[in-house]
Amino acid sequence: MTAQPEASGSAAPERLRAVQARNAPGPRDAIAKRAPRKWSLAWLGLVPFFLFAFAFMLLPTVSIVTGSFQDGQGAFTLVNFAHLFRADILGSYLITIKVSATTALLGGLLGFLIAYAITLGGLPKPFRSFMSTFSGVASNFAGVPLAFAFISTLGRVGFVTVLLRTLFGIDLYGAGFNLYSFWGLSLTYTYFQIPLMVLIITPAIDGMKKEWREAAENLGASALQYWLRVGVPVLLPALLAAFILLFGNAFGAYATAYALTGGLINLVPILIGAQIRGNVLHDSQLGYALAFGMVIVMTLSILAYSWFQKLSSRWVK
Amino acid sequence: MSSRRGSRLVFSWIWIALGLVYFFLPLLATFLFSLRAKKGVLSFLAYQHVFADPKFLQTFGFSFEMAILTVIIGLALIVPTAIWIYLKLPRVKPVIEFFTLLPFVIPPIILAFGLIRTYSRPPFAFVSSPLLLVAGYVIISFPYIYKSVDAGLRAMDLRGLTEAAQSLGAGWPTLLFMVIIPNLKTALLSALFLTFAIVIGELTLAVLLAWPAFGPYMALMGRNLAYEPAALAILSFGLTWGAIGLIQAITRGRPGGGSNLGGTH
Amino acid sequence: MKKFAVLAAIVLLAGVGVFAQSTSTTDMNALIAAAKAEGQLTVIALPHDWVNYGEMIQKFSAKYGITINELNPDGSSAEEIEAIKANENNKGPQAPDVIDVGLKFGPEAVAAGLLSPYKVQTWDSIPKDVKDKDGYWYGDYYGALAFEVNSDIVKNVPRTWSDLLKPEYKGKFALSGDPRISAQAYMTVIAASLANGGSLDNVQPGLQYFAKMNKIGNLVPLIAVTGTLASGETPITIEWDYNALANKDKLNGNPNIQVIVPPTGVVAGIYIQGISAYAPHPNAARLWEEYLYSDEGQLIWLKGYGHPIRFNDLANRGVVPADLAAKLPPSSAYANVVFPTLDQQTVLAQAIANGWDKIVGANIQAK
Repeated sequence: MTAQPEASGSAAPERLRAVQARNAPGPRDAIAKRAPRKWSLAWLGLVPFFLFAFAFMLLPTVSIVTGSFQDGQGAFTLVNFAHLFRADILGSYLITIKVSATTALLGGLLGFLIAYAITLGGLPKPFRSFMSTFSGVASNFAGVPLAFAFISTLGRVGFVTVLLRTLFGIDLYGAGFNLYSFWGLSLTYTYFQIPLMVLIITPAIDGMKKEWREAAENLGASALQYWLRVGVPVLLPALLAAFILLFGNAFGAYATAYALTGGLINLVPILIGAQIRGNVLHDSQLGYALAFGMVIVMTLSILAYSWFQKLSSRWVK
Repeated sequence: MSSRRGSRLVFSWIWIALGLVYFFLPLLATFLFSLRAKKGVLSFLAYQHVFADPKFLQTFGFSFEMAILTVIIGLALIVPTAIWIYLKLPRVKPVIEFFTLLPFVIPPIILAFGLIRTYSRPPFAFVSSPLLLVAGYVIISFPYIYKSVDAGLRAMDLRGLTEAAQSLGAGWPTLLFMVIIPNLKTALLSALFLTFAIVIGELTLAVLLAWPAFGPYMALMGRNLAYEPAALAILSFGLTWGAIGLIQAITRGRPGGGSNLGGTH
Repeated sequence: MKKFAVLAAIVLLAGVGVFAQSTSTTDMNALIAAAKAEGQLTVIALPHDWVNYGEMIQKFSAKYGITINELNPDGSSAEEIEAIKANENNKGPQAPDVIDVGLKFGPEAVAAGLLSPYKVQTWDSIPKDVKDKDGYWYGDYYGALAFEVNSDIVKNVPRTWSDLLKPEYKGKFALSGDPRISAQAYMTVIAASLANGGSLDNVQPGLQYFAKMNKIGNLVPLIAVTGTLASGETPITIEWDYNALANKDKLNGNPNIQVIVPPTGVVAGIYIQGISAYAPHPNAARLWEEYLYSDEGQLIWLKGYGHPIRFNDLANRGVVPADLAAKLPPSSAYANVVFPTLDQQTVLAQAIANGWDKIVGANIQAK
């Protein structure tokens, strides 16, 4: 599968052997002398990243989140975490996960189809750069402006609602549609999920060589067979990676939800906002505990995702 | 064969058309609403109000600068790290992924207050430096930059290329700049676009760290005004798109840039 | 550190003592000089159109030549408190000097040691029950909740709480915030409660009222903002009268807005001022407070349709200009106004937060 450019004949044999030795699992003794040095050098390469993450993400967060272990007077307590298991808060985590997973799937699928259309779909070239730049902007069009845009489009007196009523006699809201609901919110979230998917998966689709498709067709495979046997397996790691990104993207979002549903859908980020910036409850310690809970959910999701990645790489082979 | 290609084309056109309808209707609705500033007449009054305010372009310019800095630092930090992980320490990948996905679950308000608290005491009193804002932005962009680069690395045969280049005697800088990066062009552009859009619209960090950025300006205008926020939303969409398009046009001129945009290689 | 604290306490007490007694101008001059030396004041969460803070800021800045650094205009009271806490060690422009928060937050801020006491020259004319006796916080203005109606879309304007339940207003009303988060919103529930048989100890009738409104379809589960008010998505909402009137002015007929104070269930909310204990510019902060509580400052708030806390004092001395007084809703509308106290607010707000989902809850299930 890998089109490995052959090392030119002038490559010294020792070099090739060294390359092979590095990659082949084998007795450590042969490279034992190099291993310790290589290991420590390798870890050194991660220092800038970890230093930055520590200085500007972990340290500041921890300094605030230690509040989740404290009560109002500063004494150590785990009561905030106990609160996390209240029925309404668990329900809140559940619905947040539902919204995130739904929009990740929806955005993932639709985004993939659009990405496919602009890369392998045979459309004229300008479409691709257009969609790429548009996706860049749209991926961050969220919060109040997005909510308002959807309200102006599909709200009770929204542009499309009114149009449908006057031109076609279709009464959206009479038929049960409601923008201010789980599905309305999901529809709105998809607006920034699809572009994100397009941007992330396009390089991966690019990596699928035309030759494979042609070879498959020459061998008589139908489009479906091609996708099932070649396309999806190749893309699966990238698809999973994109999914977890879209999931995380929706998981932490709240401004759109708040502006669209007035807080009636109890997403965890809205609860956190209620505790930290709200004028009623203002139990910031509980807010920090809720944030900590989100970290845990995210960690579990990433573990699940890594596990799926391992499974899928086995399938590819 | 041609019918297959033909049906694929139809399929593509359908999805693009649907996508475009979905994306443009809300923008159209916002735009139509923004034209209603003068009663009973469609006019650009709301836009005039927005442009009459010098702060509009000032804040956009500030955020633009911050965005450029964020992209540079973010890419400089993450691209080598991602490559390093791929080549040397693949087992650490989940850990790095975890750290790059963490920013999703740290509410921006907590990050902002955390940064203030941590960096307001000597000897680390940089709370008033714009670089602290940039650092915060880089953190927020972690997931997007990393995933873009990761997707790009996945799609190219990194190991093979590296070995080939090294066996030909290339050192690390040559490898990085002449082999890997040109092949990562699409992914890097994705990362750039995403980061750019995020920084331009970012609100919480800029507000709490007290910087005259575009996000807070938009939020301020949006307070208790009806038509101007809609005008602003359209304008910011357009401006960001223009800026991103400009960047793409510039990078397309460079070697290896344009070829990737047309199709597979 | 301790010696300094003692010294500061002595100075403060002396200062307070002096100001409480007289209006000697020498002290004011010293304060003005000290404030000017500091040169800057950092305020937080003061939108320009909220009781005319825009003019207040501009006039203060022009009068004393002190630049005002405005933080987070959209911020909530809770965010102001959090900002003081986070900036404890920071003397930079991110740290607020003064705050303007809901009544509820006063004692909380004092308990957390976030405020430094100060009594303005006009201290005595501030009513006793809206200020902290040691001068840590003091009421600044209040307003009553009023209906805000887009009268271009809603031709027959509702005038009472029971009007809002009429079928002709189906899909037309929305709250101006989430009652579990926003003070304006939970006060609305309290007001509804008072109009429907509740009291300042029992807010269940208010929750029932909104449950009913939700059931008959009059309540739109959206947060009403000026945009949705103007577009007709939420043509009826309830806000503080000063906000509603300011919106009316700003929209300037496009669309037409009517502001109605209902005859029953009239609730007023008081906001309070405080100086941060960690203020980077304490003298500028004090001067700002002096300005706010001077006749000039109080009248600026009045111009923004807010009732300044010293309103009665001003009226008694005949200082209120007639045209300004005419712009406010007639005083008869405020005859039945009720001021929930701190403790009542805390209890009621908690009851609303607990009960909102269960009783009113548009149960958002995945369909």
